[in-house]
Amino acid sequence: MRKRITMLLSLMFVTSALLTACGGNNNNTGNNEEATATNSGTAATNAPATEEPANTEPFEMTIRHTQVGADKQKRLAILEDVVGKVQEEVPGLTFKLDGVDSDVNRKEKLRGEMAAGNPPEIFDLFGSPDSKIYAKESKLLDLTPILEELGIKDKFSNLDPFTYEGKIYGLPIGGSGEGFFYNKEYYASKGWKAPATFAELEQQLADIKADGKVPLAGASKAGWVPLMLANHLWSRYAGPDVTAKFATGEAKWSDPNVVEGFAKYKEWVDNGYFKKGELGFEYAEYTTQFTSGEAILMYDGTWKSSVFKAGQSGEGLIGKVGFFNIPAVDGGAGDQTALMRDVNNGYGFSASAGEDERQLAAVKSFIKNMYNEEMQLRGLVEDGVLPAMKLDQSVLDANITDDLMKEIVAVLNNSASSFPAFDSLVQADVTTEISNIQIQKLIGGQTTPEKMGEELQKIQEEANAAVE
Amino acid sequence: MNKALRNPLVFILFVLPALALFLIFFIYPIFSSIYYSLTSWNGVSDTVKMTGLKNYEKALGDDRFWISVKNNGWFILFSVFIQVPLIVLFSLLIANVKKLKGLYKTAVFMPSIMSTAVIGILWGFIYEPNIGLFNKLLGLVGIEPVYWLSDERFAMLSILITNAWQWTGFYIVMVLAAILSIPGELDEAAAIDGATGFQRATRITLPLIVPIISVVIMLSIAGAMKAADIVIVMTKGGPAGSTEVMATYMIKYAITNFKYGYGNTIAVLIFVFTLIVTVVYQLLFNRRSERIEY
Repeated sequence: MRKRITMLLSLMFVTSALLTACGGNNNNTGNNEEATATNSGTAATNAPATEEPANTEPFEMTIRHTQVGADKQKRLAILEDVVGKVQEEVPGLTFKLDGVDSDVNRKEKLRGEMAAGNPPEIFDLFGSPDSKIYAKESKLLDLTPILEELGIKDKFSNLDPFTYEGKIYGLPIGGSGEGFFYNKEYYASKGWKAPATFAELEQQLADIKADGKVPLAGASKAGWVPLMLANHLWSRYAGPDVTAKFATGEAKWSDPNVVEGFAKYKEWVDNGYFKKGELGFEYAEYTTQFTSGEAILMYDGTWKSSVFKAGQSGEGLIGKVGFFNIPAVDGGAGDQTALMRDVNNGYGFSASAGEDERQLAAVKSFIKNMYNEEMQLRGLVEDGVLPAMKLDQSVLDANITDDLMKEIVAVLNNSASSFPAFDSLVQADVTTEISNIQIQKLIGGQTTPEKMGEELQKIQEEANAAVE
Repeated sequence: MNKALRNPLVFILFVLPALALFLIFFIYPIFSSIYYSLTSWNGVSDTVKMTGLKNYEKALGDDRFWISVKNNGWFILFSVFIQVPLIVLFSLLIANVKKLKGLYKTAVFMPSIMSTAVIGILWGFIYEPNIGLFNKLLGLVGIEPVYWLSDERFAMLSILITNAWQWTGFYIVMVLAAILSIPGELDEAAAIDGATGFQRATRITLPLIVPIISVVIMLSIAGAMKAADIVIVMTKGGPAGSTEVMATYMIKYAITNFKYGYGNTIAVLIFVFTLIVTVVYQLLFNRRSERIEY
């Protein structure tokens, strides 16, 4: 008898455990259904009477964005405005905003979701190589027909990073260019102007150093930070198109011109032009070194201009910051005005969003409201992000009131050509090698420019062979 | 009732939920990791191509991987030879204080309830070359600033110190519990026989807490083998890969580069290495520590 009771009790325990789990689901469903009924009731009351009433049943879509942190508030405000407009246009739609750090989203969260097959409907996406890998696996929505329908397919200045086999799978939110930000107040106190020649630039660096100041901000804990300048230098010496030739085997990292670029960077490190101890500093400290007035120059992307606006960390330097491109180097190859520019970050949409008519309508509405002249201008004026779409020069001139932004646009206009950063041109293995090992070794004095070139070339050849 | 509990079916029923969880969250992932470690899967694709032992050949032939294995080794050595003696020393000291024992216990335990990210930032300030505490102290005695996190010679040591600071308190509380559970009569008897405090600590207390020290060492080894967060927060594996550990190597050279097959290979290798180290430890040392009964 006792045995039976125990058996019975055990059975009850196990079944109740199972039922609790199932019951939870049922409850949720019940609640959802109830909520749905209530909401649709409200929506139905508010909806205007039409002949064929649109489906106003509530549905939710998620937008994974990376506008987290104080410096990205302006960009977040733009997104929120777009979200509001789309929600008005698509009856029943509620967007859930999911903010995640850019690197975490790119390298961990989105990849995991892609592998599991449940990415958000709209998400922050990197063009090359990410979007191509996802597109190849049919994880992304082909935007070509939508862009054609909206008539904006030819309005983007460059969609290459998001294009795979002739189809467009993502849209860049903006572009960026890289150059030197400089402290105008300091320059004025010395009676200097932005350098017109490379020799002048080097003289200024030496003079700043002699003056007891830090010539160049330095924060190389993450390899991509010093590589912005290094990339521009090797492209000056070896030509703007050299990086694109590494993957095809037409050029080598060990070519003398490329090595000359590394050598120049090393020379500046050895001369003490960068903030000492840079290998231990985060990117955030890079900006602080400049905004605090400790460093006089900072090589960075145009996105940094948003810091020099009211309420931001560089508020104290409003009107005191200038921007210039690296001057031509002696004996350099190719266009010496070429600027490093990228349009590699934007939005992508999950393939599943294309299967649901209402979700597809929401995607169209999102693209329409996000990718237009007004929003691109807002991005430029409020957030310092260069437009990804072609805008009329007169419109740009009329809207840019900020001195720094005017200088940035002037630099863009004065450069005859542009080239993308290395990480969108070479294989991931090469990017890992140069940004995690080689550039830090060069800065730390554990390698020579020649050896760095050779070691990179070795990895490049392995990566090239793997592709074949 | 007792009779019923002797029925294996009852046991099976009770064990079933836990067993299911164990299978789903432990056994299945291990086997799926082993499977993917033999492929060139990119983490996204539905098609998975088998590549045999190629990934293992690549990992075992890569100098960078061995640097990361060596750094995990440093973690273990630092834990066993520096951290554990300190843990025992502080536990003995705290066990013998008469006043404010609770305060000391709380104070030493505090770091282990803080998130590694916070600790990384906190120690980042301490190691800061210009205004950091360490360099300020060194400056007082006229020593030039040390670039703790950016100099290859000091970066690993800096991480080890921070890691030890984070976990020492946790283990101290464990050892302390063992010390405090030793019956007071033993100590009193020794004291009456004229044993000094030092003698009582080394001859009475220490031998009695050997089993718990053994557990602490075991946990330290397991923790050292899977260390990653502290490295990511403090140096990102740099400068120039000098502080890379196996887990950060896996993230950097596999996961980031869409090489999930290779990533799984590294994960399996971490598992195997940890297994080897713990088995060796068990065989060599742990067997000797017998169960203590008072």
